[in-house]
Amino acid sequence: MELNNTKIIEMYKTMKRIREFETNASKLFAEGQIHGFVHLYIGEEAVATGVCANLREDDYITSTHRGHGHIIAKGGDVKYMMAELYGRQTGYCKGKGGSMHIADATKGIIGANGIVGAGQNIATGAGLSAKLRGTDQVCACFFGDGSTNQGTFHESLNLASIWRLPVVFVCENNLYGISMHQSRHQAIQDIADRAVAYNIPGVVVDGNDVFAVYEAANEAIERARNGQGPSLIECKTYRHHGHFEGDPAKYKPAEEVAEWMSKDPLPRLVNYMLDNNILSKEELNEIDRQINDEIKEAIKFAEESPWPPIESVVEDIYTDIVEEVEK
Amino acid sequence: MKTIGIIANPASGKDIRRLVSHATVVDNNEKINIVKRIILASQGTGVENIYIMPDTFLIGHKAIEDLKLSKELKIPVDILSMKIQGNLNDTIRAAELLEELEVGVIVVLGGDGTLRAVAKGNSNIPVIGISTGTNNVYPRMIEGTVAGMAASAIATNMCDKYNSCIRDKRIEIYKGSKLLDIALVDCVISKQTYVGSRAIWNEEDIVKVIVSNAHPAAIGFSTIVGVRKIISDKDDFGACVNLNVGDKYYLAPIAAGTMKTIKLDEPTIHKVDERFDLEFDFNGIMALDGEREIPFKIGESYGFKITRNGPIRVNIRKTIESAQEIGFFACK
Repeated sequence: MELNNTKIIEMYKTMKRIREFETNASKLFAEGQIHGFVHLYIGEEAVATGVCANLREDDYITSTHRGHGHIIAKGGDVKYMMAELYGRQTGYCKGKGGSMHIADATKGIIGANGIVGAGQNIATGAGLSAKLRGTDQVCACFFGDGSTNQGTFHESLNLASIWRLPVVFVCENNLYGISMHQSRHQAIQDIADRAVAYNIPGVVVDGNDVFAVYEAANEAIERARNGQGPSLIECKTYRHHGHFEGDPAKYKPAEEVAEWMSKDPLPRLVNYMLDNNILSKEELNEIDRQINDEIKEAIKFAEESPWPPIESVVEDIYTDIVEEVEK
Repeated sequence: MKTIGIIANPASGKDIRRLVSHATVVDNNEKINIVKRIILASQGTGVENIYIMPDTFLIGHKAIEDLKLSKELKIPVDILSMKIQGNLNDTIRAAELLEELEVGVIVVLGGDGTLRAVAKGNSNIPVIGISTGTNNVYPRMIEGTVAGMAASAIATNMCDKYNSCIRDKRIEIYKGSKLLDIALVDCVISKQTYVGSRAIWNEEDIVKVIVSNAHPAAIGFSTIVGVRKIISDKDDFGACVNLNVGDKYYLAPIAAGTMKTIKLDEPTIHKVDERFDLEFDFNGIMALDGEREIPFKIGESYGFKITRNGPIRVNIRKTIESAQEIGFFACK
């Protein structure tokens, strides 16, 4: 399975776009431009990119509270994402959802999710839907290490296995559930070990190597599309920032941070591309400049967008009994 | 002091081959159980001290704790004092330390890649490999108790070591005159250019295979030679074969449950200590014992040599039979 240069450059652009979006989101949050909780994906870009590079537009993903990277990798529009972070009417959720609820059904993005582990059930449902409708769509389900202690994880893997659903469970093991190290909440080191209990393949890959993630996802997605059922891919990775913006992450030892910073997925891919003459330094700079402009435009779009009107508070809700609000 | 060392690789048995070759995850808690069985079998048959490599999952610590709780631990078991990096270097360093400690034998839990790392760190201490990897040629699927008994027989000199152990071959890879790396069983030359998920499984990208040993039953890439020519551990030669050359096709079991039809040239025999050089006309990567390791560029040249500098491998069955004859199992 040799990746061609076009695909490699495309993956780099996705990773760079995620990094730029998140770096700017961090800065804007610190400046008070963005409100609410923001959980950034910096350091984990290779996971979403390597998985989504194998998906079709009509395939699905479910995401997490740390969802910006997944959404960008599946083709989400950074303008509407940024507007949503700003709480503006032009955002993906009309400015009412914020960072953790972005969805775009037209791209198969069936939602980021503020509830830890909730995406696993939704992904299993999407897989069941594809199977019942007789399509060959696949759902990639992203989740963190902490969520694998939730009942939803076990229920989803069990059902997906017994019904052979086309779901690829992608665990982003970044070592911490909020501030708790994995070794303090699980008697295992490799979440892939749990695949054995559900009779599905479980694989551990270097989540900071986009090629490793791509290869594993390629095999798992093909397997799912062919009706062979779900797989569990555990990507060992690391978030560079705290759990949320504002978390100083003092629970992370400096030595551990330094080690993982040296494994940053972006410079690894850049070095590979330059070393193998996939593109020149000048071409790389030009891509970086274009992505930088793209994110600047998204910020401008968000800042110039209107706030949601007050009436929209009672729109897009599950009930029309809103007398108290009307009063 | 009659001592043994244990190296258990927490990362073995979990790579991409679970997706491509019907392999199963080997969970780390089972590795703890195997370590416990090695300790119990060896402490009861004369071993006085055991050293274990530290690792990120704390396999050694957990085994010791469990045996203390069950009040079964009778001898000192120490965790080697070394900094954990969480990669192959841990195994290499642990093998070096165990060689410095002059343990009688090293028991290794892992796959071919783990045994290769042990061989990089140690060349003088006999080795017993227990397969907790995928499709392994070097380590064997054996019960920990059996490995513990064999380890004890070697460490306590209660067997005929001369007939129970063999100095294995290895493949040495050179850049100029510098020894770059080694493989124990096979070096696969592939047109892939990145390390990616490390394991190699796609035969379409493979150009050439160099082997120290080859047998159709030794599942893996060495079978590509093995289906044409069997090379045993006693033969003082290895071989190299080109793929997609000639007009003869062969079936080769390159992975667990994976029989592939491959067009194969006649293997070229390379005698021990005779170096041969290859200049590549493509960018690619060398996979050593199944794992992508050395990327190379078009026009680069590398030297290859089959030698008898491999690890000293314990033949478990022969060791135990020899021990039995000497009275290893007789109660005092």
